[in-house]
Amino acid sequence: MEFEVLARCHTTRARVSRMKLAHGVTMLPTFMPVATQAAIKGLTAQQVEALGITLILNNTYHLNLRPGTEVLKEAGGAHQFQGWRRNLLTDSGGFQLVSLNKFTKITEEGALFESPFTGEPTMLTPEESISIQHAIGSDIMMQLDDVGKFSHSLLHTLTTGPRVGEAMWRTIRWLDRCIEFHEKSGRSHQNLFAIVQGGIDSVLRDQCLNEMIKRKDRVAGYAIGGLSGGEEKDVFWRIIKQCADRLPADRPRYSMGIGFAEDLLVCVALGVDMADCVFPTRTARFGVALTFSGPINLRLGKHAADLQPIDGTCPCPTCSDGTSRAMLHHIITLETAGAHALTQHNIVFEARVMGGAREAIMNGNFPDYLKTFFANYFGDAGYPEWCVNALRSVGVDLLEDRPDTKVISGDGTVWEYSDRA
Amino acid sequence: MTDPYSQPRFIPNIALRSASSAELPLFGPRLARLGVQRPDGSPPLEVYTPALITATSRGVVPHLSRDHVRTTQAIRWVHVPFESLYALRVTPHAWELYVAACNPDAVVALSDTPFTPHPHSQKRLTKSIERSAIWLLETLKAQKKGAIPVAEDTDIPQGRHSNVFVHMAGGGSAQARTAFSQSMLEPLETRELEQLKPLQRLDDGVAGYIFDLVPLHQALSAKERTAPSIPDESHNAMNTITPRAEDSSHTSPELQNLLKASLHDLPPHKPRLVNSARSPHEILRLIRDVGIDLFDGHWAQRAADIGVALDFCFPAPAHSAEPRKSGILGPRRRDDGANDLGHNLYNAAYAHDHSRLASCYLDTVSSQKNADSAVSPSAGLRICPCAACSPVAPSAYITHSSVDKLSYTDEMGPPESKRYLPPFTRSYIHHLLHTHEMSAHSLLVMHNLSVMDAFFAGVRSVLESPSGGDTFGEKVDEFVQMYDESMVVFDEATVDWAEVERARGKGRMAREKIKQAESSLGRALDL
Repeated sequence: MEFEVLARCHTTRARVSRMKLAHGVTMLPTFMPVATQAAIKGLTAQQVEALGITLILNNTYHLNLRPGTEVLKEAGGAHQFQGWRRNLLTDSGGFQLVSLNKFTKITEEGALFESPFTGEPTMLTPEESISIQHAIGSDIMMQLDDVGKFSHSLLHTLTTGPRVGEAMWRTIRWLDRCIEFHEKSGRSHQNLFAIVQGGIDSVLRDQCLNEMIKRKDRVAGYAIGGLSGGEEKDVFWRIIKQCADRLPADRPRYSMGIGFAEDLLVCVALGVDMADCVFPTRTARFGVALTFSGPINLRLGKHAADLQPIDGTCPCPTCSDGTSRAMLHHIITLETAGAHALTQHNIVFEARVMGGAREAIMNGNFPDYLKTFFANYFGDAGYPEWCVNALRSVGVDLLEDRPDTKVISGDGTVWEYSDRA
Repeated sequence: MTDPYSQPRFIPNIALRSASSAELPLFGPRLARLGVQRPDGSPPLEVYTPALITATSRGVVPHLSRDHVRTTQAIRWVHVPFESLYALRVTPHAWELYVAACNPDAVVALSDTPFTPHPHSQKRLTKSIERSAIWLLETLKAQKKGAIPVAEDTDIPQGRHSNVFVHMAGGGSAQARTAFSQSMLEPLETRELEQLKPLQRLDDGVAGYIFDLVPLHQALSAKERTAPSIPDESHNAMNTITPRAEDSSHTSPELQNLLKASLHDLPPHKPRLVNSARSPHEILRLIRDVGIDLFDGHWAQRAADIGVALDFCFPAPAHSAEPRKSGILGPRRRDDGANDLGHNLYNAAYAHDHSRLASCYLDTVSSQKNADSAVSPSAGLRICPCAACSPVAPSAYITHSSVDKLSYTDEMGPPESKRYLPPFTRSYIHHLLHTHEMSAHSLLVMHNLSVMDAFFAGVRSVLESPSGGDTFGEKVDEFVQMYDESMVVFDEATVDWAEVERARGKGRMAREKIKQAESSLGRALDL
């Protein structure tokens, strides 16, 4: 991997970088759309590429179940299999193992789970995870991490308690095993990222950072894991900041599972380079189009006769072809083509949010970009307090020129997705 | 014959012209060029017939985003049923407003097709014919109101104009069908003559004729069922999810007689469109014996819904049962020696099959490689131009910041000329089908429509040959012999498809979808 920082924001920790991998150059900061099963839902690889996307994510857990490593090897890797010519990142499969399987048991050797096909006990070790990612051929591979205890009632991992410390230390030991296995394989065109764990405990996070920074020469980048699982946003940004502040400047930083536009921009301001989430593509299938004035729910009756496109300035195929909100209202959730149209739009929206950040950082006006974005996106609905706090911590006061702006405490605005209106 | 384009705008501006000097036959294969003159003065749209019309649902081609619709060469005409746009009770007046709003190149007059189970009483049939004729009259009146004569001092005609196609009424009764056609040819009464000037007869305002085969097949099998010697098989469990509503696999002479009864007295130079033909075999017979010009793509699009990649061509290849020299496996050969019309990609056999979808068409990358090598192993095969077999690297990328150009240097940049990429494989689509990914259907729809388009191109090229008609008859016989008309592969695919829907779809919704799938294209979303 070639990684080069091209520009830094004079105020915040944001930066623009050029990351060259085996399948081309990806400009950072960037958002990665998720192609869980080797397809962005409903689209072809060429359609995704045309949107200006240069890095997507596949899920190791899913691809290992189907089509399996044998098929992937025959096909010449996941790039060839799905016709994707640009960069590809895979997770380690660990998170899905505990979130999708109630009976997964973590041992020092690895994660023990019931095979969904045969019901037989199966072990996913750090070595096995890397071996699967070798078969996939991803440009960036994630280490197998111990995500701790998953609460199936709360649908996220628990971020406090003794299990968190145990998981953090095990994650470091598993990183060493992943590094060993990967280095012996000789597959130097694939790059291994470490995952910083430690829940929301800043002491554990620091200990984890200490250990992982020691291994800097043997990892290509760092992810910040164990977050975006239901913790308070005010805690979330502090952990991101703590990690981003300490991680080496000459390595890319990846915040896992982040997809709301405001979260993305706060993370970028704190020094994050990459993020992924199913949110923009999933919400598209529910009929929600993302715009710079906030998400709009096209299922609402008020769009039924609106002949305007979602966003007249948007370069996505849906808007630039003039597809009306009325047409989308008519077909969304009924025709797959409606989902495809909104998926294309939402992917481009996320890319514009991040592209706008790159442009502003290059031009030295990223703080203004943040202010303009929040004013348009939240306007009179009120700014999330945690965003205001997080950006103040890196020298941007969103309320500077607008002292009367409403500030919403808690986790911020809940968008109205009601079917009525 | 006068040039239809030069007529006042109220006269249909859709013209079917024989491709040769000979007149179009009343019955029998017809090779022609269908032109539509749009009132905005743009060059006429032309389609060579026999040809394909793509079916739509709710105004979209199921599974295709607009960029895919635009890049699929096979999609030249689309058929948008109004009932899919408006879930309302439709009156002729409301219908008139819809037409005004949509401004299509051609419209279909409302018709009264009884939707209660067959058979229908004499009284109901008579009512149906009378009502359809009245609705046609109303449609033409509405068209006349909407059509404003071309202003002489401008190139751009004002007002809108649509060509009216009419559903041929009369159900399963040949006499009733003839009666309906004759009613279109009767001189108009004085008042209507004035209202519809310059039309002399209803038929003068009609651009073409439409046949829906579903109610006709139903009418015919209802007749069969009344005969005691034929067992009733319509109640077996599979019937609720097979793509074919009824069990008679052949295009019966009775069906053709019904179509001929409608057409017999009508002028032969107007285009004839058939909806929901059940197989390419049926399409070939209707071209050969009746002289149908246009067919909707319902069958091929439905195949894409249930995971079938079509793999056949016309004329049928000489030895398609053997693996091709290029190493690509053709469709399965059944015990009776007939080949499947396509591949059921749900089948586990395709998990490790990394070849392109069709054996009887090339992908563009392979064809380019063949061109480089001295001996081409698959010479003579046509290229399938669809986005699954011949994907094209984007000619442009959306850039989101000025530094994005660093991602598009050298060979990763926009190509100067069209750059083809390797085809999507059977194994990939097999994977997408089993993981319930929508992209599977997008790729299959584009491929299947392209195969149908190539099929019609094959039909036309045979008809173009000097001995056109005779050769065509021989080639139809060969095709029927080569390919399995009972379409077992569809039944198998439907079972596999339903299994994945049950396992991966969401509960009741999924089961409802299976029940409804019979009548509709596409599939509901799972979120």
